[in-house]
Amino acid sequence: MSARSPRVSLSGASSDEVAIDFAESLKDLQMNNRFEISNLTLIAKENTEHAQAISKTLEDHIKTIVPPRKLPALYVLDSIVKNVGTPYTVYLGRNLYQTFMDAYTLVDGNTRRNMEGMLKTWKEPVPGAMDSTPVFPAEVVRPIETALIKFRTVMVQNNRQNQIQQPTYRNTPTPPQLNGRYGVPPSQGQGQPYYGQGVQQPSMYQQNTFSPAPNFQQSHGYPVSGPQPGNDAEAIKRDVTAVITQRQAQFAANPYNAQIRQELDALLQLQKLLSTQILDAGALQQIRNQISALAAAAPPAQSTPQPAPVQNQWQPPPSIPPSLLARPPLAYSQPPSTQPSLPSAPFLDPNALNGLQALLANGQKPSTPQMRAAAPALQSASHSQLSNVQTQASAAPTLNGADLIASLARSGLLPNLPPPNPTPTPITAAPPPPQPSIADLLKALSTHGLFPPSSHGTPAPPAANSSRPRIPMTAAALKPFRPELVHALYDAHPNQCSTCGRRFPASEPGREAKARHLDWHFRTNQRMADPSIARGAHRHWFEGEMEWIQLVEFDPSTTSAEVAAVAAEGGGAGGISGGQGKKKVVKEEEKWVRAPPGVTRNVCSVDFEEMKSTYSEELQDWVFQNAVVWGGKIVHATCAAEMLGSAAGRAGGAMATALQGGIGQRQRSATPDSTGSTLGKRKAEGALAGVGARVKME
Amino acid sequence: MALPGLSLPGLGLAQSHVSTGSNIQSASGVSQTARQEDLPPRTEWRFEVNFQQQYTIKVLTGHAELFGVELAPNQVHNFSGVKGAVFTWQGCRLELSGEAESEYLGHETDYAVEWLNVHGMLDTARGDAQSTPSSEGGPRVLVVGPDFVGKSSLIRSLAAWGVQSGWTPTIINADPREGLLAPPGSISAVTVGSWMSVEDGYGISPISGPTVTPVKAPLIYHCPYASATEKPEIYKALLTRTALSVTNKLEENLLAKQSGLIIDTPGALNDPRSNYATIAHIVSEFSISLILTLGSERLSNDLSRRFTGDNIPVLRIAKPAGAAEKDAQFMKQLANQQIRQYFFGTSKDPLNPHSHTIAFTDINLWRANSPSLTIAMNATSSGMDDSDSDSYASAPSTKDFDRVTPSQEMLGRLVAIKFCSGSETDEVAIRDSAVMGYAYVSEVDEAKKRVRFLSPHPQRWGDRVMVWGGWPEAVVDLVG
Repeated sequence: MSARSPRVSLSGASSDEVAIDFAESLKDLQMNNRFEISNLTLIAKENTEHAQAISKTLEDHIKTIVPPRKLPALYVLDSIVKNVGTPYTVYLGRNLYQTFMDAYTLVDGNTRRNMEGMLKTWKEPVPGAMDSTPVFPAEVVRPIETALIKFRTVMVQNNRQNQIQQPTYRNTPTPPQLNGRYGVPPSQGQGQPYYGQGVQQPSMYQQNTFSPAPNFQQSHGYPVSGPQPGNDAEAIKRDVTAVITQRQAQFAANPYNAQIRQELDALLQLQKLLSTQILDAGALQQIRNQISALAAAAPPAQSTPQPAPVQNQWQPPPSIPPSLLARPPLAYSQPPSTQPSLPSAPFLDPNALNGLQALLANGQKPSTPQMRAAAPALQSASHSQLSNVQTQASAAPTLNGADLIASLARSGLLPNLPPPNPTPTPITAAPPPPQPSIADLLKALSTHGLFPPSSHGTPAPPAANSSRPRIPMTAAALKPFRPELVHALYDAHPNQCSTCGRRFPASEPGREAKARHLDWHFRTNQRMADPSIARGAHRHWFEGEMEWIQLVEFDPSTTSAEVAAVAAEGGGAGGISGGQGKKKVVKEEEKWVRAPPGVTRNVCSVDFEEMKSTYSEELQDWVFQNAVVWGGKIVHATCAAEMLGSAAGRAGGAMATALQGGIGQRQRSATPDSTGSTLGKRKAEGALAGVGARVKME
Repeated sequence: MALPGLSLPGLGLAQSHVSTGSNIQSASGVSQTARQEDLPPRTEWRFEVNFQQQYTIKVLTGHAELFGVELAPNQVHNFSGVKGAVFTWQGCRLELSGEAESEYLGHETDYAVEWLNVHGMLDTARGDAQSTPSSEGGPRVLVVGPDFVGKSSLIRSLAAWGVQSGWTPTIINADPREGLLAPPGSISAVTVGSWMSVEDGYGISPISGPTVTPVKAPLIYHCPYASATEKPEIYKALLTRTALSVTNKLEENLLAKQSGLIIDTPGALNDPRSNYATIAHIVSEFSISLILTLGSERLSNDLSRRFTGDNIPVLRIAKPAGAAEKDAQFMKQLANQQIRQYFFGTSKDPLNPHSHTIAFTDINLWRANSPSLTIAMNATSSGMDDSDSDSYASAPSTKDFDRVTPSQEMLGRLVAIKFCSGSETDEVAIRDSAVMGYAYVSEVDEAKKRVRFLSPHPQRWGDRVMVWGGWPEAVVDLVG
C-alpha cells in the first residue's frame, strides 16, 4: 500500500519539466475559471517536490502576463497557498511583496479591489482548516498592507482631479486580448470599505455558482447586444473588411505574432469567399457572430478618452462600424428594430423596452448579476427563472431587445407582454463558441458546408448520429480501414483530460463535462490523499439481482460534478435573492441532488434502499430528495451523515464545523476554488461537507 | 483466455511480502533504462511482462491505446503480469522503462482494423436501436473461439470504444477461470457506464472509498468449476439465470438496451462433439444477434452453417498476431492475483479486508461437487491422517450440492456468500442465487468448532448460505 505514487501524475519528471508543464497550463488560464484553477492547484499539489520551480514559474507568470490576466493567475497563487499550503507558502511568501505590488500597480480598480480582498484573507486561517495559523505569516502580509495604504492615499488624491484612473494597460505594449471579457471578476462579497460603490458587486460566491453562464458571458463581452441590422451579405462584407483592416494594423505593429497572421489569413479567405458565393441566412448569421466576436476581442486601434467613470474596462473600438458593436446602453436607446431575417420577431412593447433600458442603464455593464442588482423585480425571481434569462441572453450575442424581453416575459418577470414566440431562432440554436477565434469561425463555416471539415473542427455529439458511417454486419465490411471511425473516437473529441486520457467533444457541453470531470479528479485525489478516508477503505458487497437490475450506470465524474454544480446553483440562488447571511444550514432530509439525465431510480449504497426521483417545481427538474453525492454515488443524506459520524468522530466534528462556519469563512476567501468547490485540503471530509454546505437553499 | 482485466498492480503486495531483492537479479529480458520508440501509424508495441516485473509506458507524442483505452499523454502507465499491445492509429512516440519478458514492434495489425470495424457495426446497430423506438434493442454479441486468441482483448476494446462513443454496453464474462471485477469462479455481468482504465481494464467493483477510475458494479453468479464443461448443466443453468437478470436490466434501462451486450466465453465452448450445445444455449438465452469467432476457421464454419438460417450473422474476426499463449503458471498467478486484489485491492486502490471468526453452527455451508474437487480432496485427505475426513471425502456425492460442515479441505479456498437464506434447502435456489461476496478461509479450528474468514467487508453476513467448490484452487499465502 505504499505504492500510491503511480497516481501522482508528474512524479518522476524533473523540476524543469514540471515547471514547463505548469507554465503551459498557466498560459491557458485566460479568465477566472474555477476548473482550470483547480487543475493548476492539483498540479501544484501533486508536485510539492518541485514546489520551488512551480512557485518561480507562477511568480514569473504573474509578473509577465498582461494585466487583465493577472487576477486569475493571482487566484492560482491564492488557491495553491490555501489548498496546498507549505512548502508553497514559504516559496511564494519570499517574493510576495514584489509579486503582489507589481501586479497591483498595473491592474484596474476592480481587480485591485479583488486583490485587496484576497490579501485580507491571507491574514486569516484557511477557511475550514483546523489550525489557526494564517495563510501567510503576518510579516509577509504587513509590508504589502502598508504599501497599499500609501498607494490608496495617492489614488484618492488623483481621483479628485481625474475622477477615474485610466486603466494602465492601455499603455502597455501588449494589446489587451480580453478587452470586454473581463466584465465580472469575482469580488469580495464583504469587506470592501475602500470604494463606495453604487452597484452591488456579485460576491465571489455568486460568481461561482453561475460558473457556466458567466464564463460564457464574459467571453462574449457583449451578452446583451443591441439590435442588429438585417442579415445582409453586404453589411457582413463591410464588417469583415473592417476587421481585416484592424487586424492588418495589428499585424503591422506585431509582425511576429503568428496568431494575428493566422487570423488575418483566414479573414482574407473569408472575404474572398463572401464575394464569390451566395450564402444562406444561417451561414451569414454565423459569420456575423464570429466576426463581431472577433472584433470585440480585438483591442481598440487607438485609445480614446473614456468619460464614463465606471467603464474603465471597456471601450468601443472606434475602427469598427457602430452597427457591429452595439454598446448595450446605446443600443437600447435606439428605436428597436426587429431583424427581418428572423422568422417572427415578437411584438415589442415600447414601455417594456424603456423599462429594460432603464434597468440596463443602471449597471456598469449588462452583466447579469448587476442586472439583478439593478432590477428590484429580479430580486425575488427564482434562480431557474434567472438562469433561464441568462442562458437566453448569453446564448446569443446578437439577441435583440425583443428577444431579451421575450425571455424575461417567458420567465414571468415582465408582465403585460404579448405571448412570446416559442420558436427558437436559428441564432439561439447555434450559440457561437465563447472563444472567438479563427478556428471557431472556420468550424462554424464548415458546418454549413462551406469549408471542408478540418481535423479538429467537426463537432461530434456523444451518441451515434448520422455522421458516423453505416457499417453492415457482413464479412466484407470487416476489411477496409475506415479512418472516420478513428476520427470519431479521437479527433471528434479533441478535448482530452490530461490525467486519464478521457476525451470530450469540443462543444460547449463537452467543455462543461470536461470541467466537471477535472473537478472530479481533483476531489477524488483530494479524498485519496486524506488518510482518514482512504485508509479504511473496504470492498462493498456485490449487488443483489434486483439492485443490479435497477442500478443505473452513469459516469460519476461528469454526473456528480454536475450535481455539485447544480447544488452550487441552488446555494447561489439563495444568496442572490435573499442577500447574504440569510442562508441557513439545511437539515439532512432537506438536501437534494439533481437526478442525472435518464436516472429515475437509484439505490442508496449505504442502506441499499431504493430512492426515486421526484419533480421539483422550484428547481424545474427531477431531483432525489434527502440525497447527497458521496463517493461519486447518490446516497441518502441521512445515511451519509450517519456513515460519516460513525466513521470518524473527528471528521464528523470537522464537518459540522465546516457546515456551520462555512458561510462566513467561505465568503472571506477570495479564491473561488477553495470555497465553492469543496477543495480545501485542510477541510476534513471535503466532498461531503462541501456538497452539504452548497446545497443550502432558501 | 486473453488478458484483459488483469493488469496488475496488486501484485506489488505479494512481492513486498515474498521477495523483493531476488526478483531484480533473476529477472530476465529487457533492459531497465528508459528508452524511446517511434511507432508508425497502425502499428503496435507488444510486451509481455510477468508478475515479478514492472514495466512502464508513457506516450510522449501522438496517440496510443491499450485494448481500446487511450493512454493519457505524458502519464506513466505501470504494468505487471500483462501481455498486451499498445496500438497507435496515428503514430506515436513511446517512452518505455522497466523490464519485460519480451517487447517488440508489431507491424501485422490488420486485426485492429477489423476490430474497429466491428465497433463501427455495433455503433451502427446501436444508432438504429436508438432511432427506432420499437426495436429489439442494440446488438447482442457472442464472442467464441479457442483460448488465447484475443477474445477478451476484443471485448475489452469494444467496451472501451463503446463507452467513448457514449454507450453503456453490458459485458458478460462467462469464463469462470478468470474473473471480471470479481475473483475467479464467477460469472460476471456489468454495464459499463463510465470510462475504463488503461492499467486495470474494467477497474474495480464498488468500494467504500474514492477510486482512481469510477467503480463498476457487477452482478456475480458463482461457478466454482475449473472448466465450463465440468458441469455443463449447471453452467447452462447459471447462464440462463444471468440472461434473465441481464434481460431485465436492459428492459429497465433504455440506454443499456440500445447499447446491447457482449459475451465473453471460455475456449472450452468450442466443442464440436457436443454439437456446440452450450453455444446454442447462450445464443437462445441471450437472443444473440451477432456471433464473432476468433481463431478457429472450423468453428466459424460450423456456426455460420448452423445460425445463418436464424438470421444471426457469424463473422470470423482476425486473431491478433500478438495474441500470446498463457501457460498454466501464468493463469495460476493471474487467479491468485485476482483473489488477492479482491481482498486487498490494487496498489492504486488499496483495501482493508476484515477477519471474522464464526462458529460451525452459525455457518450454512454447502459444497459444489465436481470431478476436479473430488480429485483435489482425495489428494488432500490422502496426504493427512484422515481421522476427521469420514464425513465427506470418502464417497463423492452424486448430488450437485451437499450441505457440509467446515473442514480442513476448505483451507485457503474462496467461499461464496450468497443472497440466499440459510434455511433454504432447494439446490436450485442455492445454485441460482447471486453472490453477495466471497470470503477466504484462513483457518478452520476443528477443536473449537469455528472458522476464521477473511472478508472484504466489516459487516457479517448473517445466516446466508455459503458455497465452496473446486475452483478457484486454494491460495496458501493470502494472509501472511
